[in-house]
Amino acid sequence: MFRLGIDLGSSYTKGVLVDENNRIVETHCVKSGYNFNNAATKIINHFTGKYEIEYPIFTCGYGREQIQVPFVSNSELIAVSRAVFEVYHCACSIIDIGGQDTKFIKVNALGQVEKFKMNRKCAAGTGSFLEEIAFRLDVTPAEFTEFAQEATQEVKINSFCTVFAISEIIGMIKNGATLPNIILGIYNSIILRSFELSQVENLLVVTGGLPAMHPTIVTLFKKTYPNSDTPEHSQFLAAWGCVLLNFEKKPFYPIPPDPLPQKGKGE
Amino acid sequence: MNEKALQDKNELVKLQSVNDLRRTMDGYFARLKEASETHNRKIAWCTSVGPAELLYSMGFEVYFPENHGAMLGAGKNADKYIPTAVAHGYSPDICSYLTSDIGAFLQNETPLQKSGFASVPKPDILVYNTNQCREVEDWFSFYARHFSVPIVGIHTPLCITDLSPEIITGVADQYHRIIPELEKVAGVKFDMDRFRETTGLSHDGCVLWKQVLQKAKHLPSPINFFDSAIHMGPIVVMRGTPYANEYYKILLAEMEDRIKNNISAVPEERFRIYWEGMPLWYRLSSMARMFAKLNTCIVASTYCNSWVFDDLDAANPFESSALAYCKLFIVRSDTVKEQVLAKLMEEFSVNGIIYHESKTCARNSNNRFGLQNRLYDRTGIPFLEINGDLNDPRCYSEEQSIIAIETFVEQLAGRG
Repeated sequence: MFRLGIDLGSSYTKGVLVDENNRIVETHCVKSGYNFNNAATKIINHFTGKYEIEYPIFTCGYGREQIQVPFVSNSELIAVSRAVFEVYHCACSIIDIGGQDTKFIKVNALGQVEKFKMNRKCAAGTGSFLEEIAFRLDVTPAEFTEFAQEATQEVKINSFCTVFAISEIIGMIKNGATLPNIILGIYNSIILRSFELSQVENLLVVTGGLPAMHPTIVTLFKKTYPNSDTPEHSQFLAAWGCVLLNFEKKPFYPIPPDPLPQKGKGE
Repeated sequence: MNEKALQDKNELVKLQSVNDLRRTMDGYFARLKEASETHNRKIAWCTSVGPAELLYSMGFEVYFPENHGAMLGAGKNADKYIPTAVAHGYSPDICSYLTSDIGAFLQNETPLQKSGFASVPKPDILVYNTNQCREVEDWFSFYARHFSVPIVGIHTPLCITDLSPEIITGVADQYHRIIPELEKVAGVKFDMDRFRETTGLSHDGCVLWKQVLQKAKHLPSPINFFDSAIHMGPIVVMRGTPYANEYYKILLAEMEDRIKNNISAVPEERFRIYWEGMPLWYRLSSMARMFAKLNTCIVASTYCNSWVFDDLDAANPFESSALAYCKLFIVRSDTVKEQVLAKLMEEFSVNGIIYHESKTCARNSNNRFGLQNRLYDRTGIPFLEINGDLNDPRCYSEEQSIIAIETFVEQLAGRG
């Protein structure tokens, strides 16, 4: 029997299949679209053919309760912290950049969340910010990250707003700025924006879909804050953390307080 | 446990006093309506922490536009009216009480129409105190221009650390200075004995309200912030009248009864939180349910504690009014605010504090100058910041905030 963690995010739904020792066996990712249950079903079906899945499954993210199989939901911030602690076993800061949220989490030496902060009601600095700009510039994420490596000089992007950032970029192109230099500026604006959330201390672990799709940004994070790292499966950490949270000898975060499974429409 | 059972277990128990609250507030609006229709009494508009005692002492019926703003917010109508005010030149970034209230007025709509009012009661005079913010002066000035009626105000120094005699005397002098205009409009002479009486009533009402709020020190708490935000109505609009005091005696008795019978505001209270900042009026009940589901009680708040003017003294109404209204949390420096919050957090045995950064209310958003970090360093009590607004739901990202709040509660649980 295998355990399944699903992170139903605003842009992508990420599934992680975990064995009885809580090791990641396989990952799978689909677009969330408008129906979280459909997205989760695609993930479940992907694994069902090959593996026998144990229920309930473990969920987090915006669509964490929008599925029709037995589930236990968790906070994605606690889940990602749990997974990061599983990898590094030390006090650290986490910057998680997802589709519409950028999160800062401070984890102490016991693996507990000491504080966290999320971005304001604004997409600038999140994955959607980059997706929108890439769409408008007609550049794929792979090209985006390659272009940034060709940059010779950073162009500063000042705008706080996705829409106005695009007008700003169009103005720069008109004035002769090169695409690689602009893209480097875009990446750096995201990094600066994420460092605004709180004071980074100890090891910085950069997680989420953005570093997975834009590996250049990981290098840039390292330039800004040398003691930083991005683990393997960075996009799937929250999904994995959901499983880890629920298979401790003692529940890591015992909320809600009743024995598992606590809720789920299939019960 | 299935969803239904979980829900039942966590269902909030309604306060029985709510019927008395309704009766008390209905009485207030009936008196206003009568004055508005028959002109048997003059009507003064007053800011929520303005000189209500003085106005009641001179026989005015007193109307509070902020209360009206909160009604628009709680009725989930503010975003219908704000664009109208914006189209008239009021920025969407300024007080959304102001923009929703002026917008509703321009659309000739008010929730008071459900109570038989043709419109909001026309003012004979407008009286403000800038202790809470400067916007109130601009807000009231709109109506002074519209109705061509006098406007008078008390300008309180901001960011007060020491309540020096100069500050108190300066504000008390301003109380004296507005009296001639009030006499002219009221058609009666100022009566010191009446002012002593309303000041004494206001003091007693504030003490009763404080006693109600302090019952939340009990573990588990018999009242939460979402109840208090509704039940504070009388202390806001009837401070200085016997009506408020009568009501708070009833509510206090219910608190005592709840404690005796072990009835808590949140059925399974596990965590206790302090709320710093304005309520999100348009999400009051859904938030109450969400926190109850998380076994978390918001036991104390700056907002509800702001109407505790227990320094009022019938023996010395001018100076004590000046003191009470300058001692108000919102008008104090961050140094004082930090001390007040630390004390309240300790007294109410809280596990955490939530700062609501209200987009259009800078003065009630106390996480903008690093206070949250300083207080955390001082107390070690975890904090959460959420972004929203008092009245404008467009500034609030609900899904993101729910995730943040749930995570915060899990964070508290993780601390053991």
